This record gives sequence, structure tokens and C-alpha cells, in this order.
Amino acid sequence: MSARAWLVPLLPGIVAAAGVTVYVILLLVVESQVGIAALLVAGVIAVLVAARFGAAARVGAVFAERDDILNLLVILAVLTVTGFFYEDHFVLLMVATVIIYVIACLGLNLQFGYSGVLNFAGAAFFGIGCYTAAVLTKNTGVPHLVVLVAGGVMAALIGSFLLLPVLRTHSHYSAVVTIAFGLLFKIFLEVNDTLGGPQGLRVDGMNVLGWEFNDNIEIGENFEASFYVNYIVVGLIVLGFAFAFVRRVERSWIGLNLDAMRLDETAAASFGLNITRWKITAFTLGNFLTGLAGALFAMMLGFIAPTNFTFGDSLILVSIVLLGGIGNPWGLVVATVMLIIVPEKLQAIQEYRFLLFAAMVILILLFRPEGLLPRPLRTYIPGWKPK
Amino acid sequence: MDIGLFAQYVMNGLMLGMMYALVAVGFTLFFGVMDIINFSHGDVLMVGAFGGLATYLGLTFLGVENPWVQLAAAFAVATSAMALMGALIGKFLVLPLKKAPPLNTLLITLMLGTVLRETIRLFYPRGANPQRFPSLLPTDAYSFGNFTLRVDNMMLLAAGLLAIIGIHLLINRTKLGLAIRAVAQDEDTAKTMGINFTLIVLVTFAIGSGLAAFAGILHGLYYSEVNFGMGLLLGVIGFSSAIVGGLGNIYGAIIGGFLFAALQTLGVLAMPFASAYKDVFAFGVIILIMAWRPTGLISEKISERV
Amino acid sequence: MTKSRLTQFAVAALTVVAMVIGFGMGSFPASAKEKIKVGFIGPLSGGTSSNGLGGRNSADLAVRLRNADPKAKYSYELLVQDDECKPNIGVQAATKFGANKNVIAAATHYCSAVAISTVDVYHKFGLPIIVWGAVLPDITYGNTYKEVHRVNGTMINQNETAAKFMRGLGYKTWAIIHDTTDYGKGHDKYFTKNLEANGGKILSRFGVTSDQQDFSAELTKIKSMNPDVLYFGGLTPIGIRIRAQMEKLGVKAQFQGTSGIVSDTFIEGAGPLAEGVVAFREGAPTEKLPGGKFFLEQYAKQGYKDPPEAYGAFAFTAMSLILDTIEAVGPDRKKVRKALNKVSGSNAADSITGKVDFDDHGQNTIAVITKYVVQDSKWTVWEDSAYAAGKRKLKGM
Repeated sequence: MSARAWLVPLLPGIVAAAGVTVYVILLLVVESQVGIAALLVAGVIAVLVAARFGAAARVGAVFAERDDILNLLVILAVLTVTGFFYEDHFVLLMVATVIIYVIACLGLNLQFGYSGVLNFAGAAFFGIGCYTAAVLTKNTGVPHLVVLVAGGVMAALIGSFLLLPVLRTHSHYSAVVTIAFGLLFKIFLEVNDTLGGPQGLRVDGMNVLGWEFNDNIEIGENFEASFYVNYIVVGLIVLGFAFAFVRRVERSWIGLNLDAMRLDETAAASFGLNITRWKITAFTLGNFLTGLAGALFAMMLGFIAPTNFTFGDSLILVSIVLLGGIGNPWGLVVATVMLIIVPEKLQAIQEYRFLLFAAMVILILLFRPEGLLPRPLRTYIPGWKPK
Repeated sequence: MDIGLFAQYVMNGLMLGMMYALVAVGFTLFFGVMDIINFSHGDVLMVGAFGGLATYLGLTFLGVENPWVQLAAAFAVATSAMALMGALIGKFLVLPLKKAPPLNTLLITLMLGTVLRETIRLFYPRGANPQRFPSLLPTDAYSFGNFTLRVDNMMLLAAGLLAIIGIHLLINRTKLGLAIRAVAQDEDTAKTMGINFTLIVLVTFAIGSGLAAFAGILHGLYYSEVNFGMGLLLGVIGFSSAIVGGLGNIYGAIIGGFLFAALQTLGVLAMPFASAYKDVFAFGVIILIMAWRPTGLISEKISERV
Repeated sequence: MTKSRLTQFAVAALTVVAMVIGFGMGSFPASAKEKIKVGFIGPLSGGTSSNGLGGRNSADLAVRLRNADPKAKYSYELLVQDDECKPNIGVQAATKFGANKNVIAAATHYCSAVAISTVDVYHKFGLPIIVWGAVLPDITYGNTYKEVHRVNGTMINQNETAAKFMRGLGYKTWAIIHDTTDYGKGHDKYFTKNLEANGGKILSRFGVTSDQQDFSAELTKIKSMNPDVLYFGGLTPIGIRIRAQMEKLGVKAQFQGTSGIVSDTFIEGAGPLAEGVVAFREGAPTEKLPGGKFFLEQYAKQGYKDPPEAYGAFAFTAMSLILDTIEAVGPDRKKVRKALNKVSGSNAADSITGKVDFDDHGQNTIAVITKYVVQDSKWTVWEDSAYAAGKRKLKGM
């Protein structure tokens, strides 16, 4: 197959990815508030126009057919943005935050999106990861890559205390179990002195094989890149694995089981699915991912306190999952970018961000309950179309 | 233990329990008629308290200084405003999602709570700060050893109990209450019996939300302070109380409310070294109860239909 | 095919339009003077916001006065961040300034719990800062960071005076409630040390979180011990709650606070119950400072909505010192840091609060402690009050 024949069908996808990358860079570069507002409006119009004239559908078709290309393009896009801003700490901090939040929300997506297990304590499991990282980096010599995993394992372990009530309860009742746990976690941290109390804890920066993540990267005399690049690289690697994993789960028979369980638990059980096993699997795996993201976040930020992990923060995580389109990992990416970067850039709405998010979720629930990028129908063979 | 001190703890617990019970009754009413959880309930309570405060400030500004008039006006304005808001919530946020998955209703009310909280924080004058709630009740106090009996606390307790009794009578002794109970028991049958379902749902929302505003003002009078975040914890505690008692059951809600307050007070008494952990203890017990009785202590009678 | 071309064209066109708008807005005509950015961080929302807003206005006043001065070499822009008095939010705000290379220096923090968590960040990014209100000693003495300076005093002297003074009045027994941030713990530590040295007795001690609502458990226990004084080491919001609930539960002890409650918000919040509350603060009252009159006049002239509060003069001093330094050495973080470190001894800077003289930890020397008592809904200097004159009496006297 010639290169041309290989490339042409992919063109709409590549053009779209490049366009989005340029757009994001622009959004991050522009500082004037009017400029940002204009860009946002232009972005919305562009998307609407693209949808109206079918371009969005073509792009979507390409990506549906070639998932691998999409993954590659997104990684390239993130690296391009990172390279473009290589010495701008603040922009890179935002990029890294987006990556970490996407990892955390992938965990929630496993719970809400696939298996229908409710978890309104996302911020608490994120926080368990953070505190694990804080304690381990300060008091032990555990290698920091192990600390990352330990953050996830700890979240999964503590989460397993909730398994019994979560398994036995349904909908509202199980919601209250996680809400109570989220509040309990924050209050516990505040009154517990050994974990820093309301004062919070300092966390050491990541160090892998002598490579200090919190030092700027200096190459030669004149080149110095922000230390956040380190975290973006590690974050991308973790995200890559997490994302691939979640997609595999979704496509596999496990995903099928989870879907069946979410849609009708009683029916699924009567067809012989072991509800208990799959709920445990989804809940534990989800908490693991969320905790892992937390550990990375704590090491990047260098400081954590109980007020990082309030009920409101849990709701933001849920908002991201819902806004993106419940059960669609790609939707998460889009929603996270919107919920993290837009308020940071548009200072005018920063103070109103909780209000706006909440209002937005209400509107979505009323008028587009499936979210911005609804989960597509399951396709068993990539690219397969009904003849 | 000193008897006076013990009496003081009981009094503290009773006050808390009465407030929790008022909130829990709201939750249980909503659940009864619609099978939904209205998670904005705690924040409606908070807005009600702010409404009462604003009424008081407005009257003071107009030169009305009589505390009884101010008190009556604060209660009247706040409860009716919140009753209206409750009906609006029911009409525009809850009824349209009747056919949607329960997760959606849960989320929409959670988010509405956030909207209310943030609206007060951002748009009430200096709303991010705790606001002083005036003492409108007589502040005479009688001391018996370590026990201090305050007239205002007694009045608050009496008002709360009266409200609970009032709701009980309304539900059990009036035609409206009969209709509410009918809808709660079986929506379809109630409809065929000529009950206006939508109307009953809206009225129930109005009653529950008005009750929340009432509790909000009691809360303000008791703590002499209101703040934009007070509804969240109260809401969760109220909901937990309703759950513990068994959703949809008014007596369960009342028992749950007092039980929760008793747990908190007991937590303090049993672990004097760790009184700060009382909320941790209380929530821990809630989670355990949920594990033990997944649908509350007085559980729903109907098992899941396929 | 035409349709999708059209779409692509539309998207491209829109992007170009947005770019033009974006860059057009970004490149304003350059003003005659170079524009330099300086920062301010304080609690602008939440229960301690009146102190934060007062500090913000005072720092803003310093910048406005400088911009109005034709002799100034640069024109300044003040960037403001809200730390909400929460450590993690403060770290985020500090990271924003640290990561923004255009911010040359900043006046930061009223809340000690926040300041103690952010000093690492300033050090990491090399951003020179001057603390304008936080009183925990460790902020300057707990590290050797050259970036960190402080114009106001620490809580050590404050508690020394507090203990001596209260013992001098004849009080014998205390109960302590403190918040469990480093701020409250610091107060607990230094007050206990000084009180014991002066022969006072502490009956019980409670650590509470900084957003606790109900104190009936703690206060009921305190009541059964019947101390003469309730010492509160914490900030305004829970100070108000504790004062109000003391009354409800019939706790008759005298209420003694720290610099953390010296704010108008405390008096508004506690209402008539504030009467007779005592508290201590380092530095002379604003109107008695060398440049106090000038500061208050200028402040009034700008028509700010909120009063400067207890620490406004320090915020003004911190920001003025930053601007002076930038004028002298130019807009460069490293140079500004070095120049600030040299402000000591014979090189001490003049300010409205008197000489600013940093020791080798960047700590300004403030010897005076002011004793306050609330009289007729006003923080009144003890010596000028009806209580000192014997016309009114503190509780239990």
C-alpha cells in the first residue's frame, strides 16, 4: 500500500487534531480576557459548524476506525503543547493537572460509566493517594514509582472497607454510603493530628533513579525547561496505560458484563452473572486509578491539605464524567480540558466556576443527559459497518 | 458524672436532634411521594435561614424594632418563600426527570444545592463570611449547678416539637395528608382515585421546603450565626437520619434524627479524649448501619420488583 | 466533498479571526514607562476576609501612590490572589505567582497556616516576598530561605505580654481552645510557656478544626471546670462562634483572644457579646504609628469600601518596601531578593510603621505589643479604655 493511499483516509482526523492543538495553544497563549472570550466563542461556532456540515461525523468516523491513530495524535498534540511552552511553568502546570484529572476520572468512569456503581467520594480516594504519597515520601525511602502504585493500592484497600455496604445497598442508599465516607474522610483528616490536621502536609517531589523531578531540566547553557515537563511526561505514560487499560476492559467480555449489570442488575444476575464479583472489580479498579492519580498530583503540587478533598471536589469529578458523556473516555478528556483550563484562563469566571459548573450540569441533565460526547454504540470489530 | 452536667449534655443533644429530625422529615416526605432524594434540601434550609435574616434586616431598616414582629415576619417570609422554591424545584427539576435513572435526579439536586450555596456566597452581601443572626428571643437563663436552662433554648425546642407534631397531624388527620399518603403508597392507584398527582407532589415539596426554612431559622437562632456552607453537613446528616429510620417513614425520620444527635453526644461522652472525632464516629456508624440494614432500620416493605 | 471543504474553510477562517482578535488585544500600545507586575496574596473571602481586603487595599494604595509619582521609573500593576485562609489554596496562589516570571515580588499572607505552607514554593521559584500579617515565628525562623521576609512581628512577644498582663490582673486559671493549624498550635505553645512561667494554671486544653460549627461538647466540659479565663488561639470565624456559644451554655469565663480576632468582623459577628473581650497584637495602633496619620488620610482619599483593619499599615509597608527596592535595583527577582536581605542595621528602611530592620532570617524587629479590649463595639487600646480606668470591669474581677 502506498503512503498516499494510507494517508488520505486519515486526513480529516489529522487535520482536526492539528486544528485542536493550534486552538489549545492559542487559548493558552492569549492573555487578554476579550481575546480568550472571542476564542471560546470561535471554538463553539467552529464545532457547531463542523457538526452542521458533517465534518465532525467524518472526523468521528476516522477515529472510530483507527483508534490507534487517535491515541498517537493526542499524545503528539500534548507533546507539541508542552514543547511550545517548555519554560512556562504555569501553562505546563495546567496541562499536567488536566492529565492527572483525566486519570482520576477514568477511575470514576469505570464505576459510574460501565458498572453503574455510584461513587460520590472521588475526591476522598484521590486524597488517599495524596496522603499515601505524602507519608511515604517523607518517612520512608520507598522508590517513588512504587509510591505511585502504593497510592492506588491504598485507595483500593481503604475502598474495600466500603465494599460491604456498597454491595448491599442500591442507588440512593449506596450514594449515601459514599457521601458519608467522603465527609468522614475530610473530617478525619482535619481532626487527626498525625496526618497534619487542617494544616496539611508537605510532599517531596518525585525522584526516579536520581532524577529530581522538581528541578528544571537544563541542557547546555541556554536551554532550561520547566520542571513540570517531568510530570507531564510521567503523567502521559501513566495516562497511556490507564487509558489503554480502560478501553480494553470496555471492549472485552468484562466490559460486556459490566454493561449488562449496569443496565439491569436483576436480569444480569438471573443470566448467571456474578454481580458481587463485578461490582467489587469495578469499584476497586476505579479507586486504584483515582488514588494513583492522587499520588502523582501530591508529588507535583508539593503540598496537600484536607480542604483539597471536600465534597465539592468530589462533585467536580462527577461533573467531568457526566459532562463528557458518561462511559466515554474521550469525552472525559474534552470535559477535563474545559473544566480545568477555561476557568483558569477566563479570570472573570474563576470565582463563579463552581456556580457555572453546577448550572451547566443541571442544564445537561435536563436537555442532553447523555453528555457532550455520548458513549457510542459498542462495536465489536473496529471499523465494522453494517452492510 | 455530675447530674447537672449530664442534663446539659442531654439538652445539647435534644436541640441537635430536633433540628436533624426536622430536616429528615423533609427528606422522607420527598421520598415518600416521588421515590427521589432531594439533595438540595440542606441548602434550601440555608437559603431559608438567610431569607429570615434578610427579612429581619429589612424590618430593622424600615424601623420595625419589636422582636416578636420581626420573628414572626422572618418565619413567615422564609417559610413561604422556601415553600414556593420547593414547589418550583419539584416542577422544573424533579418532575421532568421522573422517567430518567435515579442517578440523574440525585445529581440534579446535588448540583442545585451547589448553585444555591454559591449564589449565597457570591451574591448575598459579603456572603462568604459567617453572618450574625440576631437574638430575637428572651435570653434569661437559670442555672442549676452545671446545668444552664435558657428560655430561648426552651422556646426553640418547643417550636421544633410543635412543628413536628403539626406535620404529623397534617399527614395523618387531614384530607391533604391522606392524599399524600395515597400517592406515597401507590401512584397509579392514587391517580385512578382522582388524586391530582402533580399537585400533590408540588404541595409535598412546598411543605418539606417550608419546614427546612423553619429549621434554618431555628438553627440561626440557636447558634446566633448562619453561613453559606451550613446546609451541606446538615443536609447529609438529615438524609442519613432519614435513611437510618427508613426512608418514607415519618416516625423513622424523627427517631433517626434524635438517634444521630444521641450518637454524636454519646461519642463525646464515651470518648472525652477524642470529642473532635464525634462526626467521624457518627458517619462511621451510619456506614455500618447501611451495611447491616441496607434499606434503613425500619425498612421499606416492598422488595425489588423485576 | 464541497460541503466538507466549506467546513474546513469556515474553521480555518474562524481560527484566523480569533487569532487576530487575540493578538490584537494582547499587544496594547506600549506606555511610556515599563510596566512591572507585583503581587498581593491574602484572604479575600471567608471569615477573615475583612483583614485580607484591608491588606489588599493598603497594598493597592502603595501601588497607586507610586504610579501617581512622576519620579517613579516604572509603572506598576498589582496582581491579587485570594488564599481563602486555606493552606492548599494559598499554595496554588503562590504557585501562580512563582510560576509567572513577570511577577517580580509579592506581599503575602495574613493567615499563618497559609504562610507556613507557601514559603517552600517561594523558595522553589525564587520569588522574593514580604509577609504582611502572619505571626507564626517559623515562617521566618523555621527555614533559611533568603526569599522570605516579614515586616510584622511574631506571636512570641504577643503571648509573653498577654500572659504577664492577664496574670497581673489577678486571673489564676485558664482553659485553652486553639485551632489545630500551625497558627493555633503556635499560640497554644507560646502562651502555655509564658503563662506557666508567670504562675498561671491551665485546667484543660482543646484543639478544634478551623471550620467547626458546634462547640457545645468542649464548652460544656470547660464549664464544669470553671476557669477564670478562656484563652482562644485562633481566627475570627470560630472566635465568634465560641463567644456566642459560651453565652448559651452559661460559661462565665473572661474571653481572651489573640491578634487573630483583632478585626471589625469579630465585633460585628459577636455583637453585644464582644464587649469586654481582650486581645493582643504586635505593633502600635495604626493612628499612633509615625506615618499612621499620612496612611489613614491617603487611605480615606481613595474611598475604599473596607477599612484597613489591624494589619493594613503592615501591608502598605511591605508593598512600599518592594516598590522602593524595584526602583533601586530594577525589575529582577534575584536583585530584589539581595537588596531586601540588606535592609538591616544602618541600612534599615524608613516606613510608616517606623524603621524596618530585617535580621538574618528576614524578620523585622517589632518590640511594641498593643493590648486591646472591646469597648462599645470598638477595639480600644487598653490604657485608653474605661476598663483600665476602673469604670468598667472584666469578667470575674
